Amino acid sequence: MSEIVATQVPHKRSIPFGQEAAGALSIIVLGAIGYFLYPDDLAFLTRLIGIAFLVLSLDLVTGYCGVATLGHAAQFGVGAYAAGIACVRGITDPIALLAIGVFAGTIMGLISGALITRFRGLPQLVLSIAVGQLVAALANKLSWLTGGSDGLSGITPGKVFGIFNFDMYSRTAFLFSLGVLVIVFVLLQRFVRSPFGLMCRGMKDDDLRAKMIGVSIYPRLVVMYGVAGAVAGIGGALTAISTGVVGLDSVSFERSAEVLVMLVLGGAGHLWGALAGTIIFMIFEHIVAAANPFHWMTLVGLLLILIVVFAPRGLIEPVLSLASRFKRKGEAA
Amino acid sequence: MNRRSQSILALAILGLMTGTASADTIKVGVIGTMSGPYALFGKNFKMGIDAWVAEHGTKAGKHDVEFIYRDEESPNPAKSKALAQELLVKDKVQYLAGVYFTPNAMAIAPLLEESKTPLIVMNAATSSIVEKSPYIVRTSFTMWQNTVPAAKTALKNGAKKVAIAVSDYGPGVDAEAAFKKTFEGEGGAVVEAVRIPLATTDFSPIMQRIKDSGADTIFTFLPSGPPTLGFVKAYIDNGLKAGGVKLMSTGDVVTEPDLPNIGDAGIGILSTYHYSVSHDSKENAAFLATIKKGGGNLDEVTMTSVAAYDGARLIYKMIEATDGKRDAAKAVDAVKDMKWVSPRGPVSIDPTTRHIRQNVYLRSVEKVDGKLINKESQTFADQPDWALSAK
Repeated sequence: MSEIVATQVPHKRSIPFGQEAAGALSIIVLGAIGYFLYPDDLAFLTRLIGIAFLVLSLDLVTGYCGVATLGHAAQFGVGAYAAGIACVRGITDPIALLAIGVFAGTIMGLISGALITRFRGLPQLVLSIAVGQLVAALANKLSWLTGGSDGLSGITPGKVFGIFNFDMYSRTAFLFSLGVLVIVFVLLQRFVRSPFGLMCRGMKDDDLRAKMIGVSIYPRLVVMYGVAGAVAGIGGALTAISTGVVGLDSVSFERSAEVLVMLVLGGAGHLWGALAGTIIFMIFEHIVAAANPFHWMTLVGLLLILIVVFAPRGLIEPVLSLASRFKRKGEAA
Repeated sequence: MNRRSQSILALAILGLMTGTASADTIKVGVIGTMSGPYALFGKNFKMGIDAWVAEHGTKAGKHDVEFIYRDEESPNPAKSKALAQELLVKDKVQYLAGVYFTPNAMAIAPLLEESKTPLIVMNAATSSIVEKSPYIVRTSFTMWQNTVPAAKTALKNGAKKVAIAVSDYGPGVDAEAAFKKTFEGEGGAVVEAVRIPLATTDFSPIMQRIKDSGADTIFTFLPSGPPTLGFVKAYIDNGLKAGGVKLMSTGDVVTEPDLPNIGDAGIGILSTYHYSVSHDSKENAAFLATIKKGGGNLDEVTMTSVAAYDGARLIYKMIEATDGKRDAAKAVDAVKDMKWVSPRGPVSIDPTTRHIRQNVYLRSVEKVDGKLINKESQTFADQPDWALSAK
């Protein structure tokens, strides 16, 4: 594990903000491919971006801090419901709604972080499920506010910057989501390489050692949870804005479990791993579900088994080792 | 991988991606629960539509009709909306149909106005769905529609004190409200109202509460599946059945595929519902015969197949009326006030609510020729959705 930390440290930075620029550019290129080559699939791609935020958020706590959680959809759902309720009650500016989602997600993240990170191991996992279930039960019970099991409908956000309308073809929703993703991704790239982010990795690798050198672990984990909550809240708010409905699925256990699968698939502990996992899982699911709506789940199961058998640490791992081998070759020569 | 297998793979992928497309084919996108715990009901959508096509051909008027199926899987509005968008934008469907869950229907509704597409709801049973867009027509049922006759039956059977036990989610709350309003409106008393969390498996404490409340009748609604079984068992094991407390429900609790699991203990349970597989009419016999001929299993038939069968009838009528053109307003107008005899009995589309009016039957679980069925004993003719219409 310590090896990974070493490779991630920016020991030689020839171009300032090179990594950030590369990250932003890659996402923009991927987005452009989606936008121009698959103009009919933008609704699906927008949904994918929404989920990608949740996977990134989970990566922050699970991949970077080693917190085991199966209740991460709570932050996403609270962000989605907050933005949805605000929109139904008259705040229709998408950017304001996004801000509301971030705020609600952060609060939820801090609350659940304060509870969940007090423990380690199995109690932590159980507690995370409990928090998730609590939020799900509340969303169902408070049906006057959330619409209960019927879902919160009637969310009609206004135009982005007062110009671009959300239409049936999801062009606006897609570009809006993509823009937000680029910004958040770049910020996260900085964040995970900041002293704070590196310290979190250190705590994950050996928390006893971290304690011995005088790091107070708990507050850091809570803060990290708050940041993760903000990211998940953005995803929730974006999903609420682009679909116009928030349902109980957005806080469900299945959602939490599904994103964990995506993260493991892509590779926990890497932002690119989180993104790759989301993209691969959702696109594969989308294609097989359209090709055979009756038995597609079997194929998804098969894919998961294959990946776990052949790349147990996620798809990003072979790519990284290949890259480092190239690098070493270059240095030797 | 050698070259030949590569090219076969490429061809296979190409085949999957292109699908069939011809000039004068009207496409209908059907969104249903095709996998997961509710797969049975999605399968029934397909059975019903296939039965209609088998009887009436693939042409509506001069136009070929093609049905495209998509999997909504679970209550997931974001996914359903994306699916509907994809069907509209990519597959260019002219009609949308199906939809098992209410939140999913709610998510699709805003798309209809913009794309001028009618949606035929074949299940989602919350009353307010039809109010979300003028282009929604529903061929299934609502909780109010089936519950009000249940309350009337309870009154007629001399029930004075009723305990209501429903699942704690949308349709359950709807059922409770409908029963309470009707029953108390006619002078009955609701002595206990329990909302049961969806994941409950142990119903003994609830039975004890009902026993203590002194109720003479229980009204219940639970989504079909393991909970209904547990509920019925607890009702018998806790001595309520032996003690003369009657059990009433909507038909969701005793759908035919579930009856063998409930077993003989279920004999005598009263329910009010709009369709029983054992409904005795020549239309139903012909419908079931068609399903059997198409390879369907009669033990799997539920109310969603009939809703889909009638839904397909509406779609064919709409295509004929608009001559294959995209004109949602004209299409919906064409089916308003339409009357026909469905496998479930005489039905019509209410012109103001665009919801189906139909008979609701009082049935009791009985064993006929070694098979448990819902035997109809009384008919409530021409029932509207009581939440939207006064009569």
